Amino acid sequence: MNSSNAALERRRRFDELVGVFHQDMYRYAVWLSRDRSIAEDVVQEALLRAWKSLDALREDGAAKHWLLTIVRRENARYFERRRLETVDVDDLTPSQEALLAETQDGKLDDMREAIYELNDDYREPLVLQVLMGYSTGEIAELMGLKQGAVLTRLHRARLKLRDSMQDEVV
Amino acid sequence: MTTHDEEMMNCEEFEQAIAADPSFDGGAAHLLQCSSCKAFRAEMRALDQDIGNALRIDVPKLQIPDLPELDSGNVVAMTGRRFSTPTWFAMAATVLVAAVLGVRMFGSSVAYPSLAEEVIAHLDHEQFSLRVSDKPVSDSKLATVVPADVAQMNHSAGLITYARSCTINGNTVPHLVIQGERGPVTILLLPDEKISDAIPLHGENINGVILPVGSGSIAIIGTGDERLEEIEERVVNSVMWST
Repeated sequence: MNSSNAALERRRRFDELVGVFHQDMYRYAVWLSRDRSIAEDVVQEALLRAWKSLDALREDGAAKHWLLTIVRRENARYFERRRLETVDVDDLTPSQEALLAETQDGKLDDMREAIYELNDDYREPLVLQVLMGYSTGEIAELMGLKQGAVLTRLHRARLKLRDSMQDEVV
Repeated sequence: MTTHDEEMMNCEEFEQAIAADPSFDGGAAHLLQCSSCKAFRAEMRALDQDIGNALRIDVPKLQIPDLPELDSGNVVAMTGRRFSTPTWFAMAATVLVAAVLGVRMFGSSVAYPSLAEEVIAHLDHEQFSLRVSDKPVSDSKLATVVPADVAQMNHSAGLITYARSCTINGNTVPHLVIQGERGPVTILLLPDEKISDAIPLHGENINGVILPVGSGSIAIIGTGDERLEEIEERVVNSVMWST
């Protein structure tokens, strides 16, 4: 394969992988950062980094985990650079508000807000499990935690969400 | 799926298992005689439906950024700037990435080329730490940054003039700076980053290494002309992992 064909093949592989996993990357970034605008920046940076490092991905079957890992690192870098403080739900920027924009479904809105207010330590494993379909072992690996810690966080996250939703009903 | 001895499972264990993973399908024997846990399982499964619906936000149309053309070996885009610019650390990444390709972490099948890259990027972000100083950080500050449950560290490494808790690969790690013969030397204690072999970090104005130390590793990076061998020995001997 000459260099031109190799470059085309590389680009084709990249487009295919990104096409499949872009939604996951974006949603993961949104729920990590709790901000649509930041998530878009993080995903753009992650795509660039993935492009530059594509040759390190040996099996396309591992692409989802690889891409989410890059998103996670880019999100950490973003907040490391900006030193952003966590914000109260009553004091949101427009792009944060966009995440909590009301829909026709009040229950959905309440749940979204409850997830938004979850501590990062609880929200991330929940997103990985419910949205990304990760096992607790895979979550532990990605987050650098012991599996027991992941189980505890997931358990507490759900009980907090249940309590929040019950409070809304009351 | 978590396996569990059903005969040993009580209500508390069952509820913990279900709340951690509502798809948990163990505990059948317990469910037969416990309507409360059966109701709890139904509640958690319904809750998970709502959580999933809430998490599935709308996604904007994919916009792929301008992708640079990459020639062979140029895995990380580099510029032609001089090493004297503030980003000289980042320029070493070309060498580094090639050196660490194939390093496998966490026992996963995925190759992570970026421990060295992550270290370099972090130093680039925290250049203000690289100051010549004779003012040591306080013991209390050092104890906060290097907590006892992470590592025990004595003062034999050298004069520690900077200490901060930082994030590398998602883990909070101690970032220290000691004063070498030629200038500041960065030390990153990486108790969760197990590597099998030392990873050299070389460039015209960078001289460093990530050393395997027990179940973790330690990154030591100085300026290009720093003699690190002695520093490496002192640093490694000054640190003992707590886990």
